[in-house]
Amino acid sequence: MSDDTYRSAPIARLAGLTLALACALGGSSLAAAQEKTLRIAMTAGDIPRTLGQPDQGYEGNRFTGITLYDGLTQWDLSAADKPSVLIPDLAESWAVDPNDHTKWIFKLRPGVTFHDGSPFDAQAVVWNVDKVLNKAAPQYDPSQIGVTASRMPTLRSARVIDAATVELTTAEPDSFLPYNLTNLFMASPTRWQAKFDAVPATVTDPAQRAQQAWTAFAADASGTGPFKMAKFVPRERLELAANPAYWDPKRRPRIDHVVLLPLPEASARTAALMSGQVDWIEAPAPDALDAIKARGYKIYSNLQPHLWPWQFSLLPQSPFHDKRVRQAANLCVNRDELKTLLSGQMEPATGVVEPGDPWRGSPSFQVRYDVAAAQKLMADAGYSADHPAKIKVQTSASGSGQMQPLPMNEYIQENLKQCFFDVQFDVLEWNTLYSSWRLGAKDPAAHGADATNVSAATMDPFFAMVRFVSSKALPPVSNNWGYFTNEQTDQLIAKARTSFDEQARNQALGVLHANIVDEAPFLFVAHDVGPRALSPKIGHVVQPRSWFIDIATMTMD
Amino acid sequence: MTAAIHTSVTPAAPGVVRSRSHLANVLHRLVRNPLAMVSAGIILLLILMAVFAPWIMPHDPFATSMLKRLKPIGTPGLPLGGDELGRDLLSRLILGARLSLFMGIAPVILAFILGGTLGIIAGYAGGWLNTVIMRCIDVLYAFPSVLLAIALSGALGAGITNALVSLTIVFVPQIARIAESVTTAVRRSDYVDAARASGASALLIVRKQVLGNVIGPIFVYATSLISVSMILASGLSFLGLGVKPPEPEWGLMLNTLRTAIYSQPWVAALPGLLIFITSVSFNMLADGLRSAMEVKQ
Amino acid sequence: MLGYLLRRLLYALPIMLGVAFLCFMLVHIAPGDPLVSILPADASAELQRQMMRVYGFDRPLPEQFLRWVWRALHGDLGTSIATSRPVTGEVLKAVGNTLMIAVLASLIGFSLGSLFGFVAGYFRNSWADRLASLVSVIGVSLPNYWLGMVLVIVFSAQLMWLPATGAGPGGSGDWRWDWAHFQYLILPAVTMSFIPMGIVARTVRALVADTLAQEFVIGLRARGLSEGGVLRHVVKNCAPTALAVVGLQLGYLLGGSILIETVFAWPGTGFLLNQAIFQRDLPLLQGSILILALFFVLLNLLVDVLQTVLDPRIERG
Repeated sequence: MSDDTYRSAPIARLAGLTLALACALGGSSLAAAQEKTLRIAMTAGDIPRTLGQPDQGYEGNRFTGITLYDGLTQWDLSAADKPSVLIPDLAESWAVDPNDHTKWIFKLRPGVTFHDGSPFDAQAVVWNVDKVLNKAAPQYDPSQIGVTASRMPTLRSARVIDAATVELTTAEPDSFLPYNLTNLFMASPTRWQAKFDAVPATVTDPAQRAQQAWTAFAADASGTGPFKMAKFVPRERLELAANPAYWDPKRRPRIDHVVLLPLPEASARTAALMSGQVDWIEAPAPDALDAIKARGYKIYSNLQPHLWPWQFSLLPQSPFHDKRVRQAANLCVNRDELKTLLSGQMEPATGVVEPGDPWRGSPSFQVRYDVAAAQKLMADAGYSADHPAKIKVQTSASGSGQMQPLPMNEYIQENLKQCFFDVQFDVLEWNTLYSSWRLGAKDPAAHGADATNVSAATMDPFFAMVRFVSSKALPPVSNNWGYFTNEQTDQLIAKARTSFDEQARNQALGVLHANIVDEAPFLFVAHDVGPRALSPKIGHVVQPRSWFIDIATMTMD
Repeated sequence: MTAAIHTSVTPAAPGVVRSRSHLANVLHRLVRNPLAMVSAGIILLLILMAVFAPWIMPHDPFATSMLKRLKPIGTPGLPLGGDELGRDLLSRLILGARLSLFMGIAPVILAFILGGTLGIIAGYAGGWLNTVIMRCIDVLYAFPSVLLAIALSGALGAGITNALVSLTIVFVPQIARIAESVTTAVRRSDYVDAARASGASALLIVRKQVLGNVIGPIFVYATSLISVSMILASGLSFLGLGVKPPEPEWGLMLNTLRTAIYSQPWVAALPGLLIFITSVSFNMLADGLRSAMEVKQ
Repeated sequence: MLGYLLRRLLYALPIMLGVAFLCFMLVHIAPGDPLVSILPADASAELQRQMMRVYGFDRPLPEQFLRWVWRALHGDLGTSIATSRPVTGEVLKAVGNTLMIAVLASLIGFSLGSLFGFVAGYFRNSWADRLASLVSVIGVSLPNYWLGMVLVIVFSAQLMWLPATGAGPGGSGDWRWDWAHFQYLILPAVTMSFIPMGIVARTVRALVADTLAQEFVIGLRARGLSEGGVLRHVVKNCAPTALAVVGLQLGYLLGGSILIETVFAWPGTGFLLNQAIFQRDLPLLQGSILILALFFVLLNLLVDVLQTVLDPRIERG
């Protein structure tokens, strides 16, 4: 693993020059022709952190998380036509202690080694849990807490039972724990320790030593994943190499190298693809899709665990306090036409999850486009064309996951006019909108809005449902912006949280979801489809219904 | 991004106190410069377009329509095409003249007043006051304009007012320096000494002698800054600072249409054409003014 | 001369301190959370307090400023919050990358600008003048980063002659001076050269026209000096100022490259600044702005000194 300073003997320099001339004159060089390299342009502004807990949101997990590392559990990314569910990763099986629901036993997969050759065992799991939860541990890293601890809110500690068994303890019974663990990636303690020991002795403060060790680890990382780190040029590129010794023979990469480039600017990214500089770009510019397709590139997209809603305020002064008004709004949006207008780049949302998903349940309220039914509900609630419900909605002009907020909102505004809604928008800057989301509808930052348009990732039960409707998730604790409180919903959440059998839990979540759809705390509008443009040379591409995608099973001509 | 500062100032001939005839001379020469006159004409047209925009626009510049996205020039109902949200580009370009010209002219006017005043005071007073003022100006001047504009905007936040403040602060040092250097040159001239000797008050001298000779060069320099200001404002909106959507402003429109170059290149380039015409006109006018004021004896 | 040099250096010191102060203030009055790059919005208040303490943001501002300046004087500009890497190293490496395109851009701008300006000034008020002036004015009348995007679309996406982004097939880490790497420099440098070209052209045009109109040139011609000889005189007279202008432009390019580098994903100071602004990475932001401004101050100083050396007739107040 080289660092990024260029040092080379004159012979090597000459060889490099010759090679480069060959490149310029003839196309791919000798070396490259035999090795398959996949070049990917990401939307992130910098290379997501490579030390085990990526930043840059889920794009980070996608490219420097599941590639270099594994967690105890993972999402199944092998199919595009069914929902992506939780499957074992480094843990072969897990179960909660029947006598104490705050303790979990995880049985680890034997024979797995890190890229540096050291064995993966229960000690490594405890070490990785301690890196974010145990202040006294030498490897404790506050900078990794933000992306980790908040996604595993109830995990407290881990304990070695034997080399292949580890016990995890939570603060309260929480059946969602296995989902949370997809976010905790296992970094190699041995490699980290080597970096720690290599920190100069002049640095005495343990926290500083740890920080420098982690920085060195990030430049020369070691995990258990299907790819290894080959070269890291900060802020410019990350090169990964296939790991032929990966523990899952079905996921040993058939592509030799993967190059990751941060290209946050959409037009630069599109140009990079069109000029042949990269083979795969995330989020191509929607206006350029036709030009990209005309060049022979393929656009992949699929339903994503993502919801683009209006989150209603249920405060007394809001028209949406009345359930009839909430349901009426849901009946008054022509989602199919919206999809056509977005050139097919969305899926209509009739709930947080769609039919076919294990958590769908059987809602009695059907979200559909039925203007007559909507108008009746509004009339019952006391509104009419002469006395419309005046509502104010907060939104942004752009933002991650917000898709095309302005045209989408204008379209909904037009739709809702038919059902006696008079909609006004309060357009904020994305970061401002996102911060004020956490503060809630009662906060001055909400500007008295009756709904807020903030999109959400909905991969696990907490993120998909609980944080919006639990009475324990009121601002500023979590994202129940509209102060939705419903005793039945809380009971269903508690039931789901304490159903430790997978079938029972899915069923309980289904009941919860049905309750949520019936209560309609959201205007369900759309799910993003995560478009990406790939070169036709890349084969075996499966885009699952997930934020992630598995590069390890792809091939390249 | 400034032009080299050459202060080719030749004050009015000694003894000529009446600045009116100097001004008349300048205008006389300017009128004879066809290029400058054409530019002035274009600028006048643009200003009129901005003033009467709401009455000239054929359609609503804010009405979005997914069906009309990125339609080419000449589509029925969309004379110059539809933008990335389906709005009528012609109407947006017309209304955009207001904000674009504003972002070009307003910071320069403000900087002209502020910088000019500071520079003249520093230049006339001399001594410690000069040092204090000019050193403060130098600290600001030490930042390259683009960097300062972005840093200030980043600090103040997005929005038109904040962008106005940032751009003004960026231009003040440049104008102040010219004002100071020109004023210093004038201050040392014989007739100002004579006026002082004859007991005229400082304010009177400044008004009668200094201003007349100093405003000219500063004004010329400021005029050439207008295009720089417009382009800087567009750079700010590119980064999400400055003017925000959905306000029509040529620089912002150029940015939001940038990925449309792949599908509708001409539509995407139209705001650029307007920026180009405006910039060239202001620069030609500034050139004309400069020639008109350079009196070779 | 030496006295002038010393005086200028002495003047530069309080300026640099003022620059450091302004830089610090700019970054700290920005609204927003300094830890937004490592703390997601749904982090608890307790977590936020803990992190503020770790990074020293809970101390009073004057104390933070003094600590920062003290460390800066020792060459330590802190560590980036987002990446935990030392700021000084990152910024200096980025400055190196920006210098590559900035110097090339200055060379292109100087050559073409001088050419156009000379033609325009020599054939003053003729069609050649108009044409040369028009060409040189295109670059300063349009946002240059937008022109850059157009160039990318034409030369990269459509014609596929040149790469669209980046600093080399292997990143800036293994830069080599060969065509495979050099081709990455071309589009960014050309885009950056528009403004210096326009400014140099206008300056040279005015200088050439002025010089040709001066009496001593008329005298030279009258004494039978060949046109070539006259041209040599003109060039000798104009060169110092033209060089000074280019020198200043280099400084502007160094500090003002943010937009172009964003378009081309060129890993220079501008790209770094862009990331620092949007990640609200305070140490990186402070460090970058400071180093850029200091470079600019030094460059100005250098240009002033060179001008005095080359042309002692220029009066220095």
